[in-house]
Amino acid sequence: MLTVASLGRAELERRLGGPGLDLRTGAFVSRIRSRIPQVAENISLLYADNPLQEEGGFADFHVRLRPSRGLRRWYRPQVEFDVDKLVPFEPLPLSNAFPMLEWALNWCISTRAHAYLMIHAAVIEKNGLAAILPAPPGSGKSTLCAALVHRGWRLLSDELALLRPADGLLLPVARPVSLKNRSIEVVREFVPGAVLSRPVSDTAKGTVAHLKAPAASVARMHEPALPAWVVFPKYAADAPTTLEPIARARAFMRVAENAFNYSHLGAAGFLALSGAIARCASYDFRYSDLDEAIAVFDALERPPT
Amino acid sequence: MSAGETWRLRPGQTLQYRGWDEEYVLYNDLSGDTHLLGDAAIEVLLTLNKGPASRQALAAMLETQFELDTLEADAETAALLQHLQRLYLVESAAC
Repeated sequence: MLTVASLGRAELERRLGGPGLDLRTGAFVSRIRSRIPQVAENISLLYADNPLQEEGGFADFHVRLRPSRGLRRWYRPQVEFDVDKLVPFEPLPLSNAFPMLEWALNWCISTRAHAYLMIHAAVIEKNGLAAILPAPPGSGKSTLCAALVHRGWRLLSDELALLRPADGLLLPVARPVSLKNRSIEVVREFVPGAVLSRPVSDTAKGTVAHLKAPAASVARMHEPALPAWVVFPKYAADAPTTLEPIARARAFMRVAENAFNYSHLGAAGFLALSGAIARCASYDFRYSDLDEAIAVFDALERPPT
Repeated sequence: MSAGETWRLRPGQTLQYRGWDEEYVLYNDLSGDTHLLGDAAIEVLLTLNKGPASRQALAAMLETQFELDTLEADAETAALLQHLQRLYLVESAAC
């Protein structure tokens, strides 16, 4: 199987600069074009294990990142991305090129993949059962997710839970974990040997770095998982670790609020989410210590069917 | 709102709902919203799903189902109907 690592750097740059790199991340193939060196560098580092589609196949998204044109490029270089020739966002500083690629790929999925109910949530799995972690930015979701996937849980996604209405299964989106600000050092210390991109400090979200997905999670990118738990995480400094059950109907409403396309799907979204909530146990989870947090997740009981 | 006034489900509502522990989520076919409702609201909607009913009949149903006294049942029914009407789930048959 052809992967980013097996392609070699020269061929990687040729594809990125020419016909496009057809990167597979689970259910999707993204055709990425860019001549910006840090894009190639970070794809080589963080997507090394991801398979590639041979040139000329079907790609779900066509994304291009390039330096902005105009006089500004001489004194304040910027990067812009277009998808299918649309430019949905304002340019960003050139240093933001790789974070912008990640945000662009999130944007492509969350605005287009309406075959799924898409929830802004991390998803992890163990023994065939998945935990959905919906949370707004700043909740500690990604830090917790990064720790769990290096302690025996499989990463399905750090950002997007894709719930397939037809069978109620969650599909993986095998991509790096986005870390911000203090969580970068927390994860670096907690995960010896973690493969992280160089932090980018001037983004709208503060300092951002990306953590490579574990190779074992990438290798299982086509293996869906059954939802068993919905856990709303909240990091609070020095807080004791607590796990409080949530009534299902209330969990339903909170997950729906975190979904990108719940309203768009109409009754199909309602049926998909109610099916998932019915089979899940739901909790509010507060933590400050990652080892304790992992112990709680490892002790989650399979909900009665 | 008179006691004899007749109420019905708004045409187009199919009452897709799921309930756990006396709380329910219901999909509104007309607005596309999802509502968090209690068991009394669901009982009113299920009763109206069988056909139009007067406020008096609905109050009598709630009085029996939830062991309310007559005044409580009457006040609860009036409040529920107003709430469900605002959500475009029910309407007065005279509308």
